[in-house]
Amino acid sequence: MSLIEPIQAADEDSLAHGIAKTSRPGFVRSTLLGNRAAMVGLGIIGFFVFVAIFAPWLEPYDPTEKVGPVYAPPSSEFWLGTDDGGGDMLSLLIAGSRVSLGVGFLAALVAILIGGTVGVLSGYFGGATDTVLMRFTDYMLVIPDIPLMIIAAALFGRNLTNIVVIIGIIYWTSTARLIRAQVKSVRERVYVKRAQALGAGNRRLVFKHVLPQVAPLLIANTVLMIALAIFAETFITFLGLGDPSTISWGRLIENAFTGEATINNAWWAIVPPGVCVTIVILACTMVGQSVEDGLNPRLRVGHVSVKRFRVRPAGTKAADK
Amino acid sequence: MRARRVVGVALTAIALMAVSGCTGGSSDGDTTGGDTSTAGASSSDVLRIGTTNYIDSLNPFNYIESQAYTAMMMIYPQLVQYNADFEFEGDWAESWTTSDDGKDWTFKLRPDTKWSDGEPMTAADAAWTINTTVKYKDDATAVAAAALANVKNAEATDDTTLVIHYSSAVGNVLPQLEQLFILPEHVWAPKAGANGKGLKTYKPELNLPVVSGGAYTITQYEKKGTTAFKPYPDFYGPPSHASGVALTFYTNADAVIADLTKGELDWADQVPFQAVNAVKKAENVVVNEWPGSETTNITWNSNPAKKKNRELLAPALKKALSMCVDRDQIIDVVFAGYATKVESIVGHISPLENPNLGPLEYNCAAANTALNKLGFKRGADGIRVVPATTGANAQGEHKMSYEILTPTSTDFNVDRSFDIVKDGFAKLGVKVTQKVGGDATATYAIQTGDCSGPVSEQYQGYDIAMWDWVGYLDPDFMLSVVTKGQWCSWSDTGANNPSYDKLYVKQGVTVDPEARKNVVYALQKIVYDNFYYTQLTNHVAIDATSKKWTDFESELGGYSKVYYTSPRQP
Amino acid sequence: MRGADYVVKRVAFALLTVFIAITLNFVLFRALSGDAVSALRCRQCSAAFKEAQRRDLGLDKSKWEQYTLYLRDLSRFDLGNSVPSEKPVRGELVEPIKNSLPMIALGTLFAIVFGTLVGVISAWRRGTAVDKGGLYTALGFYSMPTQWLGLMLIFFVASAVGLPSSGIKTPTLGLFTDASTWDLLIDRMKHMILPALTLGLVLYGDYALIVRSAMLETLGEDYVLTARAKGLKNWAIVRRHGLRNAMLPIITLVALSLGFIIGGSITVEYVFSYPGLGLLTVEAIDKRDFPLLQAIFMLLTISVIFFNLLADLLYFKFDPRVTT
Repeated sequence: MSLIEPIQAADEDSLAHGIAKTSRPGFVRSTLLGNRAAMVGLGIIGFFVFVAIFAPWLEPYDPTEKVGPVYAPPSSEFWLGTDDGGGDMLSLLIAGSRVSLGVGFLAALVAILIGGTVGVLSGYFGGATDTVLMRFTDYMLVIPDIPLMIIAAALFGRNLTNIVVIIGIIYWTSTARLIRAQVKSVRERVYVKRAQALGAGNRRLVFKHVLPQVAPLLIANTVLMIALAIFAETFITFLGLGDPSTISWGRLIENAFTGEATINNAWWAIVPPGVCVTIVILACTMVGQSVEDGLNPRLRVGHVSVKRFRVRPAGTKAADK
Repeated sequence: MRARRVVGVALTAIALMAVSGCTGGSSDGDTTGGDTSTAGASSSDVLRIGTTNYIDSLNPFNYIESQAYTAMMMIYPQLVQYNADFEFEGDWAESWTTSDDGKDWTFKLRPDTKWSDGEPMTAADAAWTINTTVKYKDDATAVAAAALANVKNAEATDDTTLVIHYSSAVGNVLPQLEQLFILPEHVWAPKAGANGKGLKTYKPELNLPVVSGGAYTITQYEKKGTTAFKPYPDFYGPPSHASGVALTFYTNADAVIADLTKGELDWADQVPFQAVNAVKKAENVVVNEWPGSETTNITWNSNPAKKKNRELLAPALKKALSMCVDRDQIIDVVFAGYATKVESIVGHISPLENPNLGPLEYNCAAANTALNKLGFKRGADGIRVVPATTGANAQGEHKMSYEILTPTSTDFNVDRSFDIVKDGFAKLGVKVTQKVGGDATATYAIQTGDCSGPVSEQYQGYDIAMWDWVGYLDPDFMLSVVTKGQWCSWSDTGANNPSYDKLYVKQGVTVDPEARKNVVYALQKIVYDNFYYTQLTNHVAIDATSKKWTDFESELGGYSKVYYTSPRQP
Repeated sequence: MRGADYVVKRVAFALLTVFIAITLNFVLFRALSGDAVSALRCRQCSAAFKEAQRRDLGLDKSKWEQYTLYLRDLSRFDLGNSVPSEKPVRGELVEPIKNSLPMIALGTLFAIVFGTLVGVISAWRRGTAVDKGGLYTALGFYSMPTQWLGLMLIFFVASAVGLPSSGIKTPTLGLFTDASTWDLLIDRMKHMILPALTLGLVLYGDYALIVRSAMLETLGEDYVLTARAKGLKNWAIVRRHGLRNAMLPIITLVALSLGFIIGGSITVEYVFSYPGLGLLTVEAIDKRDFPLLQAIFMLLTISVIFFNLLADLLYFKFDPRVTT
């Protein structure tokens, strides 16, 4: 439809989506974030992953124990002071990385699995499958994510598994659209058609030809998903809906709020957990952004807003090629 | 240019929206406002109180929060109240006499009193309140009727004379009557409805101004905002020094303290324990401490007809588990040292506390041994297993793994308390997970189950909880909460012990103080031996007041109207 | 006729989505959590109320019948009764919405203003440290958990600049003595600033990026070269063409970002004890007031759908590249 074409983006249906598009792909890519940003981001993520994995060995104290006075300021004994329960802030921070990153990765995985599957099926098979799946995705996209998450967490109990599932179920939609677009364009490529002509079965085609092409994009999207999931976990936990038995960065922020950190001037209980979350999310954004931009400059979805606003379709379905 | 114009328009629009929202700001629609201005009053005469406990209701037949009790005390007349020495003085009553057999109490009330709507306040109102409360004590008025146990009826022999007839001589008349709020008959009687059910559901806070006769009238009520108390000019007692009292609810304790130190509040009625030391350093603030009446506990579902996890009904098991709870650590971490251990359900505040209970020693090794002896062996994962039972209420073999229910509305950090209990239980091979029940109402509903449904379905919804009680000087109230009569009213344990209940009635009618003391001690021992609760701590009450005001009577909160009327600016 | 075609299609889509959202609401609250929705868990509810709830909600009937009842009630704008207060949920929403709107609007305004400023400056100084610095700062704020940023503002900023750190108004202002409307207004605005600022800071990153892209695009266009050749100063060009280019995407972004703002405002209102819709949501969860939660959720979803539709139509109307 000529209505949509001039604003063609890889994810072609979206009308209002074409917000950040310019007619000069090079601009956005070369001036936004470069390869160095991706490297730095990767380094940061790697550092935190390392800390999370080796947490039990890195913690100076047992985070669950009261090892010092309540709200002791940073000292040589407690590098980041103690929290409202007398636990060592640094140990808590290290222990928290496990859950925060863990939930982030797992939830992102769930989202990617669902979204990726939907996207691949939809893009590959097209036709009715595509229509049905995409309609469904579109509807899911409009529902405000955070209220849904909060209500689901309140309804279905507060344990880690549920939270992972809830986050995953709410965030798969933008992945689906992304992957679908990519799959569609891959599918049209010559060698896929050729392979099909030669009689290769669907399964083989998908796994051997389509997926490898889609994989880099999937990875980039996963990284962005991780950031989203970590963000979501802090939200849920802050409102008291998190798993009460786990320590996470979100939990530490919540403790600071409910544990009168402000009146005790205990900045060390407030600042560090938020800084950690910010740095990790920033790093993920940098990596994901750069990779997406690098992969396909015409892929206008490489835009920060896809994370938050879960771009939804504006125009009617563009003509399937 | 265009951008600037747009911004300008937007800002104006926002301002307009802000002004339009200027009528009240409560977040759940429970807002009513009326005439609040006091002629000639400057706002600096207003006593501004900040609190994290809200007034949930102004209906004496239907409330949970202690802040509601405090508010009702300010607006409704009472027969008697406590003075600074915790002895009884008259509130509305000027004097009282007892008949020789102790069954009839005559109260002379102050004359020429009227309600805030101009109607005369007479002994007839008191009689009506008492009679109605007694009449529906099994259902609609149960919450208030506990204070009138053993009352047969009341009559107003003239406008200022009230006679209360007891069915037998009662030893604690005044402490009980101190909890009674006198209501205006002409307002409440029409609301009663069938079986008095209307009395329980009537919401005076939504029909402002509340027709009251106490030291104040309430002219604005916002459940989660600010409630305004305006001094009632025709109050029979010592008038309020402040030209008005504003009680503001905060969702966050930090904010209360912050506003107090900034000078925007005059009184923080509760200082969170983690903040005490910081507040003590503030220049313009005085920190007051006094013995508190609140005890924290582990609540054990003691419903004998409980279907699941019946092993938790056994006192020996509960005792063993309780022996590995580090109460000293709770005192240190949760209360910053401002608490002591307690064994009795009535708490240290009561002069009739039984000093001979326990004490429960902290000894995990002995606890482990006890559990082994009771036959709960550890499984491969270290968690003890309950063997299968036979007969009535037979249960299959299952692990000792339970949920502990906690409310969100406690004024102490219940999460940290739970952590310490969890650690203790873990050492014994018992696993517990925390289940957050929501606010007080929601949590209590989980404990009782459907109170309008069959009794067999009640008190089945939880095994263990952690909560608190605010006790009174007279132990009657606290001793009543484990009676069958308080099911679906004040009982959270679902305890049902007929011999205890009989003894409870007996203490109510024992007049001789020494004899009553023995019965009261015995009752506390029964509760202790059965471990309906594991009492944990009794903490200090701490508040903070601005140096701009003086004559605070912090200890009389919940005991006298003086609590609000006394503070003044020197 | 293409235009009308498009509008009709979009409206139809929006309506369909609303219907799906309504159904999802039902499924979420009734079918899945079953008894949790029943009004039975209410210590202070009268028996008559519980009976009425049972009847109205049809809790003893099949799910399908309940669903029909639910739809019927909705069509009458009957959102049910709040369990703890036994009052219609509808009434409980009015005040909080009135409280939230100005604050959210102010926050969005902050975001637009910061975003535009940063976007313009970044585009102008493309490739320099200013550009990178501006972008990274924006991304930095964007990556912060909203509640944490709020806490930080309370801790470091509130006392320093003398702004209140909680609530929507000073409790005693106008309580026992009269206060002028001007005083009330100033008081409200003071309480609104920090929460709105929190929202604005977290949001502005996106606006900055869009404005920057739009600027860059404009600055590279041929007609701009011509204008420059004619002697028009850069700033005039930026103002006249660049900003106008950016306006449309900004407007659309505002509409689209509503979903996030709503989510973000929940934690912001919680941190600042600001009695709006967000805080109401948190309290409803605490009280287990499921009818109220259901109504809030539906309100939020429908708003987002509506604003998305608006964004669509706006874009369609104003984008010069879209031909009919």
